[in-house]
Amino acid sequence: MTTLSTEVLVIGGGATGVGVAWDATLRGFDVVLVDRADLAEGTSGRFHGLLHSGGRYAVKDPRAAEECIAENRILRRVAADCIEDTGGLFVTTPFDDPAYADTFVTGCKATGVDCEEISVSAALASEPRLHPGISRAFRVPDANIEVWKTLWAMSHGAQQRGTRILTYHEVTGVHRSSDRVAGARVRSARTGEEIDIEAQVTVNATGAWAGQIADMAGIEGVRVLPGRGIMIAMNHRLVNTVINRCQMPTDGDILVPIRTVSVIGTTDQHTDDPDDHTVPEDEVDRMFDEGEKLVPGFRQARALRVWSGVRPLFEDAKASDTDTRDVTRAHALLDHQQRDGVSGFVTITGGKLTTYRMMAEETVDAVCRHLGVTRACSTASESLPGSEDGANYRLGERLQRKEASLQDEQVICECELVTRSSLEEAIRRTGSTKLDDMRRQLRLGMGPCQGGFCNYRATGLLHGIDELSAQDANQALLDFLQERWKGTWPILYGDQLRQVRFDDWVFQGVLDVAHAPGAGAGAAGADGAAGAAGAAGAAGAAGAAGAAGAETVASGRAS
Amino acid sequence: MRSQLHFDAVVIGGGMAGLTAGTRLAQSGAKVAVLAKGHGSTHLSPGTIDVLGYTPGRVTSPEDSLARLISERPDHPYALVGADAVSESLQWFADCAANGPLPSYGYVGGLERNLLLPTAMGVLRPSAMVPSTMAGGNASGLGTVAIVSVPALREFHPTLCAANLTAAGIESRGITLHIEVERADMNPVGMARRFEDPKWRGHFCAQLLPQLRTEEHIGMPAMLGMRDPAAVVGDLERRLGRKVFEIATLPPSVPGMRRYEILRSALRAAGGRLALGADVISHERSNGRVTSVATHAAGRDLTYLADWFVLASGGFASGAIELDSHWVTHERVLGLPLRGVPETGSPRFEREYLSDQPLAAAGVAVDGELRAGGTDNVFVAGASLPGATPWREGSGEGIALASGYRAAAVIAGGLRTEESVTS
Repeated sequence: MTTLSTEVLVIGGGATGVGVAWDATLRGFDVVLVDRADLAEGTSGRFHGLLHSGGRYAVKDPRAAEECIAENRILRRVAADCIEDTGGLFVTTPFDDPAYADTFVTGCKATGVDCEEISVSAALASEPRLHPGISRAFRVPDANIEVWKTLWAMSHGAQQRGTRILTYHEVTGVHRSSDRVAGARVRSARTGEEIDIEAQVTVNATGAWAGQIADMAGIEGVRVLPGRGIMIAMNHRLVNTVINRCQMPTDGDILVPIRTVSVIGTTDQHTDDPDDHTVPEDEVDRMFDEGEKLVPGFRQARALRVWSGVRPLFEDAKASDTDTRDVTRAHALLDHQQRDGVSGFVTITGGKLTTYRMMAEETVDAVCRHLGVTRACSTASESLPGSEDGANYRLGERLQRKEASLQDEQVICECELVTRSSLEEAIRRTGSTKLDDMRRQLRLGMGPCQGGFCNYRATGLLHGIDELSAQDANQALLDFLQERWKGTWPILYGDQLRQVRFDDWVFQGVLDVAHAPGAGAGAAGADGAAGAAGAAGAAGAAGAAGAAGAETVASGRAS
Repeated sequence: MRSQLHFDAVVIGGGMAGLTAGTRLAQSGAKVAVLAKGHGSTHLSPGTIDVLGYTPGRVTSPEDSLARLISERPDHPYALVGADAVSESLQWFADCAANGPLPSYGYVGGLERNLLLPTAMGVLRPSAMVPSTMAGGNASGLGTVAIVSVPALREFHPTLCAANLTAAGIESRGITLHIEVERADMNPVGMARRFEDPKWRGHFCAQLLPQLRTEEHIGMPAMLGMRDPAAVVGDLERRLGRKVFEIATLPPSVPGMRRYEILRSALRAAGGRLALGADVISHERSNGRVTSVATHAAGRDLTYLADWFVLASGGFASGAIELDSHWVTHERVLGLPLRGVPETGSPRFEREYLSDQPLAAAGVAVDGELRAGGTDNVFVAGASLPGATPWREGSGEGIALASGYRAAAVIAGGLRTEESVTS
């Protein structure tokens, strides 16, 4: 078994974990980050893309509002290239309590969230699709943030400084002695190889899964209540400003324009399983109904994709005798030295994407305490790679760049302007055999056709570069088909259904992928496509957590 | 005021089913207009005539499997049209191709035994009748194969195709010929124009020849000429000294467009009229009869009055059948009742992409003569029909041909009756 040694082991490759790795790297620590899947494959990759101004929490959760506005200002600077400065509007629609607007203004003032009332006519002039019956409108500094770009920038920056990032490495055990955590054992999802990672401090940054990792470390009472919510991407920028209903936060009251789409969200359902990604039809209906209230005609737009993310709402069972109902949107940092008398272990959970940097800063401060050193945080001033010029992302930027070389370079995914050279580079660099990894890297297959054209093209390139067997190449294509289908079928209607039917012709008709060698049905004329479907489904589930049956590995066994 | 035009029969939809129905009606002496909103699936599909490929095991003889399917599934379009319409319409289409605008470009095969042609993935796919330029890819006749393409064609990966063919038992290798074209991206239609130029063919073959081994068959993406593919393939075979065959690509499909030309030319030769860009926006009804449809087209709106109508406007793919955001399904052209729509509360789709999707077999409800429910004079053909999943069964063109053919026959019978009554 391979053994790695490091100062800081970060478990979890979401925004928080990668933020911790980036922060700790900048402070000069030796860092290893592990995730059971790809970066941003959990909650971070399943949100609406909103960089909060804090307005949403100004009344309900003032502390969260203060954190949001502070971080909003910092991220606009250090992660400039990942952020599009759309601005935001809070509007009082005919369906909202008109009295809330004044409460909202008071809340914003108290929490320091910039808020300026504008006339209804000015609001409608800037956003003509808005419900014409709005009675008040407030400008706030909401924006959108591209999470994958943010995470790649931080992870690449950290890697260039020596940090090791092991994706598709699942934690199978935490090295725990009586009063200390000394790292973890991980297993590669690709090769099955196990690696022991010895670490002076282990950071549990697994969000909604934090309770599972804490359990593995023998820490009691870390309870994360997963709150599942759905979001739907509508094809087109129905609005160009983030639109919030001016009311107490509820379901389906935010519409976020991001890249070429608009995302409406979200719902909030408690679930026992952080891997619960169900999309109930009544929640879909609610999103469409709420969308109509913000933008009349919403249902006529084309729904591209739905996804479901799980918020980590933290509840400390150890503190439950004092306040059982305090389930906060704010984050929770658990220093297990102070809380449980176990050194070398820190849990960070809760929070929201907008505050990931602050969470990382507090976490690495705790890491410093564990290591008995004082090193200043620099993530509030150090720009992420690619954001050094401080210029925000603009819609159309990629097309502009692409147009310069349109005749000379092949485009593999027209919807998202993914060029052949960028795809080939990403396949080589990551060594990945999964097209879904390429999606997170390059936005491959995220546009209106949802992989209808690029899937075959990209599979062909993957096959050549990775020297895959025919069977593995077929599997890559089928997995990506299934992955795209997962987010499509619950919202299929209208033109998107036409698109899918067209894709059916391409994949099942023209290419006949259901009968590709190794795809299950086989060339021998075996029983239809049932086998292929089973294979794709099984592969889709392979990323699921193996936290059940967790073992606590004694630290002595590590070496 | 709208201009009015009078026809014996109006066909809505210019795909395989609509063109077949329109041509057959015109050939029977009717005055016919085919109204097409745009180019249909003819430009997307591989150009083969798939009658029955999977049930769900791979079908060896469409004739035998068809008989079984007709007895086991009385709601399937094939059960409605009958086996005779299938074989007659195939023969009819083969004659259209043989006498069509593309010299020596015919369709080969029949109902006795499916051909197995490689797809761009290298999967052996069953078809009953295929273009002569593709027939050389039939698995039973293949020795070792070189799959050849150019990097500019994103829609075709020779090594992936060859790897799957090899896995299927046909020894193959891929050759990507690094040959200059002026654009980084070319689609099969652009390449087809290129291959019509003998100078290009000479250049291409000169580059390819040194890489070839003896005894190899050459499989290439279906891009070997649009107007005279038989001559292009013949010339390549002469220059290369080896058998050359075409493999269907992702859309746009060159053999699909050739097939469209064959049918369009047959329609014209029979005196039928084809209106492109003619989107049917409304219709008039009187009792159980549709009396006219109105189209919105560039230039002017027109009203088409007719005694008979054929609805061949397609299913969900064309948008003629729509599922709206309230999960209600409509037939959008004439507002006809549907059949096979999952009931409220039961799933429309399954979680696994390659499962049978419950909504997929929905279509316009028809009687045993393909007459649409609630009407006396509207007949339904092609993908508008319920009960089939053509892309899974490999039955799209067979259903389109046979139902278009059959609908025309029923109407022609009605026309003859009218004539005998009036005379």
